[in-house]
Amino acid sequence: MLSRVANLTYWMARYLERAENSARILDANTQLVLDAQLQASDLSRAWEPMVFVSGDDKIFRELYPAFDEAAVVDFTLFNPKNPNSVLACVNTARENARCIRDQISGEIWEQINRLYLDLQGKTVKDYQRIGSGQFLADIRQSILTFYGVAASMLPRNESWQFYELGRYLERADNTSRLLDVKYFTLLPSVTLVGTTLDAIQWSAVLRSCSAFEAFRKNRRGQINAERVIDYLILDEHFPRSIRYAITQAEEAIRAITRDRDHHFSNPPSRSLGRLRADFDYTVIKDIIEFGLHEWIDKLQTTIGSIHTDIEKAFFFYDTATAKIAG
Amino acid sequence: MSDLFNAYTHGRFYDELFAGPDAPRPNYERVFARLARMTREELLEKQALADQTFLWRGVTFTVYSDNRGTERIFPFDLIPRIIPSTEWDYLERGLTQRMTALNLFLEDIYHDQRILKEGRIPRDLIESSKHFRREMVGFRPPRDLYVHINGTDLIRAEDGKYYVLEDNLRTPSGVSYVLENRQVMKRVFPNLMASCSVRPVEQYTYDLLNTLLHLAPEHVPEPNVVVLTPGVYNSAYFEHSFLARQMGVEIVEGSDLVVQNDRVYFRTTRGLQPVHVIYRRIDDDFLDPTVFRKDSLLGVPGLVDVYRKGNVALCNPIGTGVADDKATYYYVPEMIRFYLGQEPILPNVDTYLSSTPGDLKFILENLPKLVVKSVNEAGGYGMLVGPHSTKEQIEDFRAKIIANPRNFIAQPTIGLSTCPTVCDQQIEPRHVDLRPYILNGSSVKIMPGGLTRVALRRGSLVVNSSQGGGSKDTWVLSDEPVPQQSQREEKLIL
Repeated sequence: MLSRVANLTYWMARYLERAENSARILDANTQLVLDAQLQASDLSRAWEPMVFVSGDDKIFRELYPAFDEAAVVDFTLFNPKNPNSVLACVNTARENARCIRDQISGEIWEQINRLYLDLQGKTVKDYQRIGSGQFLADIRQSILTFYGVAASMLPRNESWQFYELGRYLERADNTSRLLDVKYFTLLPSVTLVGTTLDAIQWSAVLRSCSAFEAFRKNRRGQINAERVIDYLILDEHFPRSIRYAITQAEEAIRAITRDRDHHFSNPPSRSLGRLRADFDYTVIKDIIEFGLHEWIDKLQTTIGSIHTDIEKAFFFYDTATAKIAG
Repeated sequence: MSDLFNAYTHGRFYDELFAGPDAPRPNYERVFARLARMTREELLEKQALADQTFLWRGVTFTVYSDNRGTERIFPFDLIPRIIPSTEWDYLERGLTQRMTALNLFLEDIYHDQRILKEGRIPRDLIESSKHFRREMVGFRPPRDLYVHINGTDLIRAEDGKYYVLEDNLRTPSGVSYVLENRQVMKRVFPNLMASCSVRPVEQYTYDLLNTLLHLAPEHVPEPNVVVLTPGVYNSAYFEHSFLARQMGVEIVEGSDLVVQNDRVYFRTTRGLQPVHVIYRRIDDDFLDPTVFRKDSLLGVPGLVDVYRKGNVALCNPIGTGVADDKATYYYVPEMIRFYLGQEPILPNVDTYLSSTPGDLKFILENLPKLVVKSVNEAGGYGMLVGPHSTKEQIEDFRAKIIANPRNFIAQPTIGLSTCPTVCDQQIEPRHVDLRPYILNGSSVKIMPGGLTRVALRRGSLVVNSSQGGGSKDTWVLSDEPVPQQSQREEKLIL
């Protein structure tokens, strides 16, 4: 397939996944704040971490005077000046879809176009009027419908593999950021560890990944930090766990390189394969000992360099030395 | 009868539906009967359904008035333009004749130039045409086809006769709207369509693909065809991607293509793949910065050289623009006589060339009555409609014409035919034209119908989408009797 089209497909998937997860992270934080019963003076501390984990705090400070709820909601959902706002992500994903309309079926395009049309002109006022829970659920629902339509319509060719690759790399990164939100929210009060409030907060994290019921069924017993982190990072079967996402991303890259010679000599196959193998030999103790935040940081850096390898191998290679087919 | 037609005025123009007040023409009988039974609410509901469908499907074009490139839907009108089969047969013969002559003209101009040598067309006029490509003199494109796609604009004047208003032989656009309009009409008026036996248009993209494959080098068993677009910000991007999708070929931008070893390749995730036929939706000027405009970022360096060596085919070929110069248009009837020894079946509109002294005098004396057009512009730009213009606009054009007479032609202001159109919750007459799409491959093929454009502003004669125009579905009726079943269905369901 065309390199440009592969790149657009990959990013369309990444941006939609990012939009979905931003809505999830916002939802998680809203729950955390509600349950924490914070004093008015603590409220800004409750909203700051959300922006911090996305790595966009610099842009935020340029746009808003303080970390209050309305500002963070506007920044996360609606502000087009934030390249990672849900609106910006959906706009870019839809623009990419428009560029590759010849590759996707009419139904897929219509679904993303309707999501786009629904979001235009919406503001924090609409968010407050409809209610955060409902508003975010609608966005998630619309994106999930897109995944459903795409999964039942897209042929399982190379284009599908680049879509999967983008989606799962982004998910691995985003789930790690979601865990980081909880880490930062907890930080000022380490004494809370093990309390009822702590359990409630970890439940909120699970719910934001739609993982609460799955966790309950799979891991009986109490809800605490170690067990939730173990589930969301290392579980083999839960589709939003980081390990699952990395495994799927590796499957995609294997499919893309399957009929090439020596496919392990391909840099992205190698780096992604190495990361996947790491998960096979990691237990939750290792992560805790390394430090959750530090471990997450390292993971995000690795995902970033895998992305660079993908770009160099498939999208922006040098044509002078490229292989000529046919 | 509903009151939807209460405000319908019957003026001096030829009306596509009414032969006179309350007297529909035979080809419109069924549609008129259906409209007459329709309530205002029903009409508005159907219009809303159609608009929503276009928006969701993303059938939009881009306008640049605000620098951001806003997408708009191309306004669509529910009431079809209906052409009886005998009328269509006539148009088809006329258009085939015209396409045949234009192809022979282009071949001649780029080789022997007999028509110039024999003085039937002034040499000056051709050699001064902005789109005459000296680089292509002596070049033989695949299968001796010098033009593959033409969108000829037809109008119907007050006398009820069809005239050719202009030819578009570079990259005529709009065909995707014809196909999308039909899809939407099928959704909005399923039973009515079945009862009218409308000829289908869907085979167009199949015919287009065959036209393109016909140009591929013969030794290639499975040629790669691509659509070359200037990119997603081009106003016709929707159409480019639509056609690529319908034909099942790749849509590429200039930066996707590379020239190496006298071949053109596209850059894929698995290395470089050869390209054999390019349906380019980019003007000659932007195709190759090493030959034409040096500042073009849209094209492919080295492409023209590969084309000249016969290793890649371009559709349309380079240099067709000389035949859609509006001053060349004046001579098409002459071409038909010269190359085919026939009289033109479809007449031109009376045209005055400001490059000839006699005509220039006439034009300058009659500006308030004439339509003046710049010879190389399209889309309703660079145009003066005398009767609808202010004194300043007229004087502005007078100065431009005197400064560069070769650049303008003038035509009498023609009262285009009208067609009933939904306006302000009722039905009113609006002016329309018709652009059929003519393919020239192993034979000439014309899609039955074409794009009917409608000037939505009351009294306006300018149908271009950039100037407030919309479109209608165009129905060419078949001779075949309407199947019994659908007649029955109409009674039951409509």
